[in-house]
Formats: sequence, C-alpha cells, structure tokens
Amino acid sequence: MQTLKIVITGSYSAGKTQLIRTLSDIETVSTDYAVTLDEERQLKQETTVALDFGTIAINEQLTLYLFGTPGQERFDFMWEDLSIGCLGYVVMVDSTRPGHFAETRRLMDRFAEITDAPFVVAANKQDDLTALPVSYVRRRLGVPVDVPVLPCTSRERSSAKLVLLGLLKQIAARHLAVQPEEA
Amino acid sequence: MALEGTLQDMSLSDLFQIFRLGPKSGVLVLNSGAERGVVYVTEGCLIDAALLSAGRTVRAAQEEALIQMLLWENASFVFRHDPAVSQRANRISHDSDWIVMEGMRRRADPARALPYHKISLDTCLQLSPLPIRTNSGVSLDMNQWRIVSLVSSNPNLRSICETAGIPHAQAIRTVAELMAIGMLEIMIPPPTRPQPRPRPARPLLPAATREAAFAGATMAPMECIDERPHVRRSLLDAVIRRVNGL
Repeated sequence: MQTLKIVITGSYSAGKTQLIRTLSDIETVSTDYAVTLDEERQLKQETTVALDFGTIAINEQLTLYLFGTPGQERFDFMWEDLSIGCLGYVVMVDSTRPGHFAETRRLMDRFAEITDAPFVVAANKQDDLTALPVSYVRRRLGVPVDVPVLPCTSRERSSAKLVLLGLLKQIAARHLAVQPEEA
Repeated sequence: MALEGTLQDMSLSDLFQIFRLGPKSGVLVLNSGAERGVVYVTEGCLIDAALLSAGRTVRAAQEEALIQMLLWENASFVFRHDPAVSQRANRISHDSDWIVMEGMRRRADPARALPYHKISLDTCLQLSPLPIRTNSGVSLDMNQWRIVSLVSSNPNLRSICETAGIPHAQAIRTVAELMAIGMLEIMIPPPTRPQPRPRPARPLLPAATREAAFAGATMAPMECIDERPHVRRSLLDAVIRRVNGL
C-alpha cells in the first residue's frame, strides 16, 4: 500500500477540519478539545490541538492522506513534521474574518520557509452572502499570481473537491516542469 | 452569518469597495467607543447613514455621517446581509468614491486610513485589477492623474516622484487616496519564494523509515535529506481521476 500526503493548513477557525470531513472516505480522526483562550472560545467551542486526519482511497494500492494542521501559532512546531513528504498544501482562510488575514500571511510565510511544495489558497465560507470576494482575499494575502486562490464552501463536497483538484493541478504542473520526460 | 472585524483589519473604504463589487445589500454597524455608525447598503450603493452619539442621538446623517466614520482610527464592525434594506429611501446623493475621497482629503495623514498597507517610496504600484465603476463621481486632481498615468512605466513610487517632480510626502498622500478609492494597489512581488531551510540529516532508523513509507517518499541518507516526495505522473493522474469522481 502506497500513501500520498496533502496538508490542509490555515489560521484558527478557517475551516480545515470541515474540509477534511467533507472529502474523507473515513470518519475523520480529530483531536479537538475544549478551548482555553477567551477570544478563541467566541469562535469555536472546541479546537484542533494536534491534527485532523482523513483519507481518500485512490485504488487498492494507493491512498491519499489529508492532514489538518492545528491553527494556533503556538502549535507551529508541528507544521514542520506535517510538511515532511507532503505533495502540496491548501491554505484555508475565512472570507468573513479580515482580522485573520495577518495571521494567514504569517502562516504562508512560515510554510514557504518549511517547504517548497505547491499550494493553493481556499477562500472559505463563500456561501455567506457577506463573504469577501476571492480577488480581495488574494490582494490582502499578497498571493503571487501563479498561485490559485479558489472560492470554497468547505461543507459542500463539490466545492471542497474543486479545491483539492486545484491543488492537484498545481502539483501536476510542477511535476511536468521538473520531469517533462515522464509526461 | 456576517462579515466582522475592525477598521484596523479592513478599512471603511475597502468595505465600500467590497459592497460595490458584490454587489451586496445589508446593514453595516460600526462601534467606536461610545459612538455608533449605521450604514445602509442596497446593491452595493450606500443609501443612508447615521452617526449616533452615546445617548443614541443622531450626531450626523447621510454623507457627513459617512465622512465622520471615515475619520475614525478604529472601530469594530459587523455587516449583515439584509435584502429588506432596498425598501428604504435613498438619502445619499454622492457615490461612495466621492465620499471616500472627501474623507481622505480631511485627514491629516491619509495613509493611516489603510493601516495594513505600508506605502513608502520603494512601494511598487499597479492599477487595480478589481473592476471599478465607470461612472465614479470622483474628479481626480492633477497630482492624482499624474501618478495614475505614470504607474505602469515606473518601478516604484520614488521613480514616479522623480519623473513627475512630486514631493515625496505629497506622493504618499496621493497614493493613499487613490488606493482608498480602489484605483491603485500595491504590486505583489513576483514569486521568488525563499528556499526551505535544509533539515539536518537523520539516520535511517526505523522511525525515519516509517516516515518515508508514510509519505510515499524515497529518502536518501545524505547530508541534507530531500524530503520532497517523488511521485510518478501516472499516480498523480490516478489521484486526479479519483478526486474528480468524488
């Protein structure tokens, strides 16, 4: 059995756990526990302190693993371990919380230090009629033009699927650039 | 379901741009100390506004209320979707660009209205790719027009100042005004991402072997381990087909 790994990251309460739950074949493994900080408790009753884990069976020999990182910066020591051997990563951002953009930018910078794997940004909660448009999210996060910023509603499988496909296309494009003879 | 934050996270001028882009309908409520601002938005247009003092008496209304709110350094805000706002009468005659520009002109330091943007002489600028309204009610002044016309042919604001002979402080002020109405934005630098730091070599102990197997990667026992997974294109195609079928 061969496994491939994709990491879902993002700031606190961005929708990482939900994206994995929506895509996973299995009941996801989460390690949420009660929130301790007051400002975090206003957003979520429980938070992911270790990681979320889900799988997508590709065939009998191959499984895609989805790992969600803990959102809070105080757990960033775990990001490095999670990034080992990952094919690529999704940066989730809540499109209705501009206050999270600065933290998301720091997170993107940190991941760029850890890994050069391809990534996409998923602008989550686009089903909310007040959500900020993808173009504004791109501008505020300073996302380079070659990195897709994709609209996302993490609760909807069709939307979550498009985010994952967007990342896989980025990975395939990188693969083609590095190993053109295999194309 | 609401858009929430503070003006330090997102300026009022940005909010007005977003309302127009949507276009969105609803009520924006801002709280700054004891003062409260209420803005009614229909299909992206600002149709009414009031600025209330601590005793909930109206201190300013319509355009003047909006301009006063634009002068706030910070406030918390909540914008809720509400299509019923369209039933209200339109009491604002100027468009949001005009109001924003008027607010910027009354500020001693317009750049402070965009706290998350750092405008300096080294800032690279570009015309905003976000759609702007063609019938904007703003009339640009000479300096604004000169900067707009020079943005595409100059690498940064310093170069624009030298070409146009505009004093530095004035240029920064003018750029802030143009950014506030969505005509200019700071250029995102090209994707020259730093290389990830090499990790120290780890002996190929069972734990490392487990990691390699876990990630589907082939790791070599070299000084710096290449931890990038090496995946055949056919495997990637299989993954894409499977995800497509979800």
